[in-house]
Amino acid sequence: MAVKFDLNRSQFITNPALRFVAYAVVALLLNVVHVVFLRFVAVSSVTPDLLLILTVWIAVVEGQFTGMIAGFLFGLLFDVVSADVLGSNALAKTAAGFVAGYFWKENLSLQTIGNYRFLFVVALAGGVHNLLYYFFYVRPMQISFGMFFLKYGVATTLYTTVAAVFPMLYVNRRKDQ
Amino acid sequence: MRRLIDFVVRFKNYITLCTLVVMSFAFMSVGSLSQLGGFRAVIVGSIGWMQSLFAWIPNPVALKSENLALRELNLQLAVESARSRQSMVENATLRAMLELPAYTDYHLIAADVVGKTTTQLRNYATINKGADDGIQEGMCCITDAGLVGIVIGTSPHFAVLQLLLNRDMRVSAKVQRTRVDGIIQWEGETFLVLKNIPRSLDVQAGDAVLTSTYSAKYPPNVVVGRITQVSEEANSLFRRVVVEPAVNFATLEQLFVVDTRSNAERAEIERRVEDHLKQRTAP
Repeated sequence: MAVKFDLNRSQFITNPALRFVAYAVVALLLNVVHVVFLRFVAVSSVTPDLLLILTVWIAVVEGQFTGMIAGFLFGLLFDVVSADVLGSNALAKTAAGFVAGYFWKENLSLQTIGNYRFLFVVALAGGVHNLLYYFFYVRPMQISFGMFFLKYGVATTLYTTVAAVFPMLYVNRRKDQ
Repeated sequence: MRRLIDFVVRFKNYITLCTLVVMSFAFMSVGSLSQLGGFRAVIVGSIGWMQSLFAWIPNPVALKSENLALRELNLQLAVESARSRQSMVENATLRAMLELPAYTDYHLIAADVVGKTTTQLRNYATINKGADDGIQEGMCCITDAGLVGIVIGTSPHFAVLQLLLNRDMRVSAKVQRTRVDGIIQWEGETFLVLKNIPRSLDVQAGDAVLTSTYSAKYPPNVVVGRITQVSEEANSLFRRVVVEPAVNFATLEQLFVVDTRSNAERAEIERRVEDHLKQRTAP
């Protein structure tokens, strides 16, 4: 079934329920992509966090409240799928949704996403996300959080920000059309 | 009630954040996914099945990094292996040396060999104990294997030993089996020679050679080595007796300095007798 994804006039704009279903489907797909395919683009075991980009997207489009809820659910889903400590990704993505929600502007969300500002929001939310995530990640280990965060947290944030260029360009192109 | 609803609506984002954070911590306190029981098996099975579908796709980046990691691991393991072997050898040596003080009455000072000097026919070793540790010139050095040499110089923290394999060494020794006395000397190579052994006396290859009670420098009955070769010297009344040192000087790392300074009373009477004899023979 081909879904026509017209950002300006489609039912996705007008029907929130349909939008949320679409978010859920995309989140599930991204989870699969994350677990199965992302190893092919891993650089020194660092991969972009696609669910974080989706969380930021939702927070920017739907607002802080929805962004947090989405972040929590996506994180929980990812914790289950990736066999991570249950709640660690949920906490980090909730915080990311909260931070990204500050950049929500009613009726101006597409301008934000199709703009470099989106990359900034992803980088900021990603920084907060990874700060929290790696803090709880290294807590049971005898390693320095600072060094670990600089090595993996910053790298993951940068890689995620680079990956966020694709949705930004996509929306930018659709916006121009 | 109205005010409460207004409060909740006004601060719903913060309340939601707090709620979700608390829920996240609650999930984290649950611990691992194993708490979810059979659900985990389903998830892991499904993910594994999906991953196996695409496992055939090669990942050059991962292979490269894995190769690098394996090389590093290999190097680390090689270093670990070498260290382990070194520790085993050292452990065996130290264990043997630990037993030495139990069967000797001498006060022993343990020391590590920190340097060896080989100058033509004079072999010396430096140890990491010196005058501050009670070491003095003339003290004898041994290991669990046998005689090493004698201290010929000290500084506060170091001492220099003259090894058995030194042209200037003379050790009064005896063959353990037959109590035949002789003088141990070094003439180069890695073996010693037991001098002054008349042809008529019983000396055989395999006999152990110990320090003699005649020696004023060395404690008696310390193993010097084992006879490996006995040969007749042409035009001589003596035999040539080759002794293999008990101590392997090439691998010498730890030793004991024996606190047996020569007996002053004995030295004094020997000196007086010698002087007396000189006076009697003097014209």
